[in-house]
Amino acid sequence: MKADKDKCIACKRCFPYCPMGRIQTYARHDQIPGRIYIEIDQDACTDCGMCLRAKICPVTALFQPEEPWPREVRGVLSNPMIEFMGSQTPGRGTEEMKTNDVKGTFLPGEVGVGVELGRPGVGAYFRDVETVAMALMKADLGYQLAAENPVTHFMSDKTTGKLRDDVLGEKAISAIIEGKCKLERLPEVIKILKDVAKTLDTVFTVEVITKVPPVGEVPIVPVFKEMGLWYSINSKNNMGLGEPHFTFTDEEQ
Amino acid sequence: MTHSLHRRGTRESLSGDFVVLGCPATGVNKKGSASKTRKFLSICYKHGPINLGDMKTGNIYNTTMDDILSRVTDGTIVECTFDNREKIVALLKELNEDRPGISVIISGIPDIVQQCMTEAGMGRIHSLEYSLGTWGNTERLPDFEILQTVTMCGHGMIASDLVRKMVRDVKRGRRTIEDCCIEMAECCSCGNYNVTRGKQLFKELLPLYTLHSLY
Repeated sequence: MKADKDKCIACKRCFPYCPMGRIQTYARHDQIPGRIYIEIDQDACTDCGMCLRAKICPVTALFQPEEPWPREVRGVLSNPMIEFMGSQTPGRGTEEMKTNDVKGTFLPGEVGVGVELGRPGVGAYFRDVETVAMALMKADLGYQLAAENPVTHFMSDKTTGKLRDDVLGEKAISAIIEGKCKLERLPEVIKILKDVAKTLDTVFTVEVITKVPPVGEVPIVPVFKEMGLWYSINSKNNMGLGEPHFTFTDEEQ
Repeated sequence: MTHSLHRRGTRESLSGDFVVLGCPATGVNKKGSASKTRKFLSICYKHGPINLGDMKTGNIYNTTMDDILSRVTDGTIVECTFDNREKIVALLKELNEDRPGISVIISGIPDIVQQCMTEAGMGRIHSLEYSLGTWGNTERLPDFEILQTVTMCGHGMIASDLVRKMVRDVKRGRRTIEDCCIEMAECCSCGNYNVTRGKQLFKELLPLYTLHSLY
């Protein structure tokens, strides 16, 4: 996002709308005497478009130029109005558990593990994303990356989690690493994430997906309890109403 | 995409907070799903959501229901936010009896969601996703009281500075709480922002900050 220096009057009305915080500085116009305008820190801006959509600028100085690769990945992952064509799903991730009732993405004994860097409200550089992805893949825990996920698309080596070098300096409001592993490897995956969290200057949220069996305890809950992990009192729940229904082995009898 | 998952709050606050998503599945029922998604939206609308939208079009606070319906295409994911469990029970009863065919997901407290499903004559939750919270340099996060509001938009479009500025504006008598919450709903284009919960959280924020500690 940029502010047209010939229009901007530095009224500051757009400042609070920026999810990345105060990333604007003042500059003095070199041709209009006395005119002050704002410059948006292009390294800190994620091109999410929120300030523009807020329609708060009284002189329509804000504008989003069409950005070339690799900067265009900022808008793709940060602006919710833009769809990443590789995933064919609006948003930053995949359909994950939302369509598990018809696709069988997460079978009994499997768990989905997602790591969303930069969330909430801090932002993350792709070099941070790479650090986490490479830590997960290096541990060789059978973590399978979701092929249609945007971050997976930006990897130059999907076996190591290495991202393309040209995107490492780019930043997004958040970027999700998505994949799955066997339930028995979940404690090791969580330990890897705990360790790598200490090395980052940003934040990430962690989410775990499971198929709920027809009877008995939700399989991931004993793992959380044994590891002493905090987990949310709220959850995302698939109602099983999609059609045609995928037949799971634990539903056959 | 987990934008309705990481909502922060107490059990009391979250017990009136439900995000209902309708999602077609790529490679299974996405082709020809537009009519199913419209049917899902129409059923949800009938049961009185506090918010409803599609991230690529906007929500009922920045466009119209007719516009949202007309711009649904194959693959569109739609979201409807409700502020009480009785509406969820009635909605689930209808969705169970007259299934649109796309996957239906409800973000909320799982034991309350399960109770609603049981009352609607449904079985157990099919699949579930838990948040393990926020890790890393958490000192960079805003206060928990502000996080409760900003995490209602999972895409992070409600800036913590905006919440602070709005609290200041209300304290100065420049704006009403209602006006501020509607604007926050406009920022969250998907329709995930629960305006009822937002107003309550806003009231709780007011005594916590002095004018000089704000944006």
